[in-house]
Amino acid sequence: MQGITTEQPTDFQAATAAAAAAAAAAAAAAATVSAMRTKSESRDLEREREGNSISEQDEWSVSECGFNDPEVQRAMRGGSAAEDITQYPIHGWVDVTQEFHEACAELLPGELAQDMLFGLFEAMSAIEIMDPKMDVGMGFDKFDLPPPSFEAAVAMGAIKLDALEPAELIGVFDALFACLVSWLEGNSMDQVLFTCLYLHAPSQIQDKALRVFCIAVRNLIVVIKNIIILAAVNEEEDFQLYGNSALLGAEKAQPATIAGQLKDVEDELVRKCKKLPPAEDQNLMAVVHRLRFMRHLFQAIYQVELMASAESAEEAVNEIYKNLNVASELLPLIKRTIERGTQPVEGSEAPNPMGFSPRIHDRSQPPTFPRSIKIRERPASYQFLEEMVARFKYACKVIRHKDYYSALNFFIEYSRKSGHCILSRSVLQNLFSSSIRLAHGKQSMKRFLRHSVQAFNSPPVLNLKHPVASDPKVQQHLETFFRYCTNMNTFNQFIRLCGFNRARQRDKLAHLIENFDPLQVDAVRLDSLMNQLANERAMEGNELHATALKHSTHFSTWVLYNCFRAMLIYLMSGFELELYAVHEFLYIYWYPYEFLVGFLVSALTRTENILLAQEEYAEHQSKLQVNGGGGGAGGKNRKAAKPKKNKKQQRPYRQEIIYYHALLSLCGGMYKAMGALTKDGRVRLPMSKFDNEEIRYNRRFAPFVPLTSPPPVSYAEFKSIRDHMMLSSVEELYSVAAKHFDQARNVLESIQNPEQEILDLLQIARTNFVVMNVLARGHQKELKRQPEFDFSKHTYFPIIKLK
Amino acid sequence: MNESKQSPPGTPEISYTVFNDESQLKAIQGLIEKELSEPYSIYTYRYFVYNWPQLCILAQHEERYVGVIVCKIDHLSNPELWQGYIAMLAVDPEYRRQGIGSTLVEKAIEMMKAEQADEIALETEQSNKAALRLYDSLGFIREQRLLRYYINGVDALRLNLTVSRRSSDASLS
Repeated sequence: MQGITTEQPTDFQAATAAAAAAAAAAAAAAATVSAMRTKSESRDLEREREGNSISEQDEWSVSECGFNDPEVQRAMRGGSAAEDITQYPIHGWVDVTQEFHEACAELLPGELAQDMLFGLFEAMSAIEIMDPKMDVGMGFDKFDLPPPSFEAAVAMGAIKLDALEPAELIGVFDALFACLVSWLEGNSMDQVLFTCLYLHAPSQIQDKALRVFCIAVRNLIVVIKNIIILAAVNEEEDFQLYGNSALLGAEKAQPATIAGQLKDVEDELVRKCKKLPPAEDQNLMAVVHRLRFMRHLFQAIYQVELMASAESAEEAVNEIYKNLNVASELLPLIKRTIERGTQPVEGSEAPNPMGFSPRIHDRSQPPTFPRSIKIRERPASYQFLEEMVARFKYACKVIRHKDYYSALNFFIEYSRKSGHCILSRSVLQNLFSSSIRLAHGKQSMKRFLRHSVQAFNSPPVLNLKHPVASDPKVQQHLETFFRYCTNMNTFNQFIRLCGFNRARQRDKLAHLIENFDPLQVDAVRLDSLMNQLANERAMEGNELHATALKHSTHFSTWVLYNCFRAMLIYLMSGFELELYAVHEFLYIYWYPYEFLVGFLVSALTRTENILLAQEEYAEHQSKLQVNGGGGGAGGKNRKAAKPKKNKKQQRPYRQEIIYYHALLSLCGGMYKAMGALTKDGRVRLPMSKFDNEEIRYNRRFAPFVPLTSPPPVSYAEFKSIRDHMMLSSVEELYSVAAKHFDQARNVLESIQNPEQEILDLLQIARTNFVVMNVLARGHQKELKRQPEFDFSKHTYFPIIKLK
Repeated sequence: MNESKQSPPGTPEISYTVFNDESQLKAIQGLIEKELSEPYSIYTYRYFVYNWPQLCILAQHEERYVGVIVCKIDHLSNPELWQGYIAMLAVDPEYRRQGIGSTLVEKAIEMMKAEQADEIALETEQSNKAALRLYDSLGFIREQRLLRYYINGVDALRLNLTVSRRSSDASLS
């Protein structure tokens, strides 16, 4: 076999690493040594190696490597080695070069000697030293000075600690806001924020404005971390929680003092401004605006953290909202004065000429491939902050939503609009959980859910004014059910998972749907217990209680409705995430068209009917009471007030039902359109060699399989329904699809004061109606090209475009 | 409309071989590196091609390597499930649109099926339309979106193809 040539020095490194992983005697330790060698050393070793002969393999022994040495162990436990990576451990090194070379000589060129524990992850995390794409150290050549630390920069006079010009302050502040934004976008704290040397030791800064601002940034980091940890809707791809904790810990966070400190500096600078001639005060005012923006932003975020211990959610949110308002008013002023600050030097990695040491933490990053860090430009950063403040303001509205149904709607909507920003998502979680805890006391979840069912379809058993609510058996059954709901945590999870990023939501929904099954079983049981109890009470002659308990479907409807929604979101999220190939659209739209949306409509209609019946009954009862002689002034008032209220409540789900009707027609339109396009030969179908539609279908609907209700629909059922549809001619199919889109248009046009989403759906329905009609008339009949499906208007439905 | 598997007449004769020699590694690296946004270390290449040389298939036009697919098969994530994994696929830009990529994937799937794979998985950049079209046409489903999966911040899609006969009748009953 051919030997290793010097043209391929990397081969040798691979061989050494491989040999290291092998069972060969001391190879493991030697590999570590080899990893520290330079290229030329490797070549030398190689040449030596060629002369070496094969030797017996020794047993690998822990003690041989020195790791049993108590002092080494103590050092390892103490973590001293980890703290200073430039120092080798003093003890426990054994020279195994000789054995290593001998072991290596057994291998063929490129051959791997591989340990069991060396898997794909290890292979992919390993780097080739000295390759600039992988080795972060290659950014520095030997002429490079090490990146200056705070102390070094001060000693060199590279950073000013006192009497900064306003332009310099603006430059540092704007750069720090840009770093903050870049951190929130998922970059490592060390590689963005802590490249600012001023943040390393603010207490040593004499310039008061700069010192206080830097202290505020450090505290803001701590507060933001707390909020994100508390909300726990972050994933590794969203946000990096960890950073140089030693740096952060060096000066203790005192968030309660920040607003006061900032205010002091502002006041001082404003006084100073007043003494300046009007033309000269503008730069200084720009500094003041930034300090003030920081103060209000900080206060808003800090109050979100404090809200958990607030006494009144309303008051706390009002305070937050006020701060956000001021912050958003300041942003236009700040954006207009970006130019007044010192600007980053072209071509430099530093976000500001003074105060930043961009690569200072590169060497302390995890030893994987370096991720490139791109700090946002200043205008784009303020744009981000402006939008973030708007999102926070929107999040404050969650406090109005005190029941599950409306809170869930709010969360779903919020996720659609703000799903990409981890801090916005976390703020919403914190506001909401504080708000419901404050509204519902200690047993928050159980009481919240009780209240939610009542708000959703108001079962008489939950109406504390109704005598049946105090029936001990009723109370016992309810207690059991709500305890179960609380323990299962499914409802809470549904709201929480809307806080995760959009891709993770889908994965989590798949699990959530499964968890609805035991709840459904329990809700059905509760409803039937109520019906049993109705019979018992009727036998006892207690008509009032019997009527209240009779025909109960309240609880099962409530659980089912929420389960259906989770299913619909799960299924449709695949479009947004681009998980469906065009040839799959057919069965994806078919399921909501044939089943799911109909289920939702009937759950809501049933709920409205129950409410209506209850109200009629209540009205009837009160009439009886009035006629029965109780008609005093009070009674009259009550009677006069009631019908008004009733009328309003009669159809609380009307809007939503109309929306689902539109969805139903759109799904039907898409299903039929896909059928027509497929039959017309305009859909690229997979090659049959490996494709199995049944497997694909089963995988797509797998999360629904564990549910008892709705029962799973087998592939065979789907296929027979589709085959039946496909019996029609292509023209007929196009026409039927057009009809569905036309129906959708009709329904959507009936909505008064439509929101943007409705207008977008309307446009989709109209356009697709036209396209289907055109195709039905045989347009482009010879040109069997797959149309384009443009989802830019709505994530669930495309505009079908003929190319 | 479907990806043509047969090369149109007049296109070069492509031969397919499996990895058998260290000397091919440079060619593999060369083909892959042109394709990828992020580098693989030599350890990654070696991990695949030496553990599963039969699943590293090269497309060759005369002396020139013009395409490669690198795969593995194991059951580490689930002892019940043999999972094939397509780690890398690349075709020389000058030899594209001749069905070489398709043929490589098909050959690899056949090999993995022969080794009793239950399913075949892979990740690809969400923006790589050509790759997605290729895998769609082979019946892969896009199972998961992985946000900011790559070093350059681009999302990935995780794709999956169930190939074994025994799992086809599972799930919905």
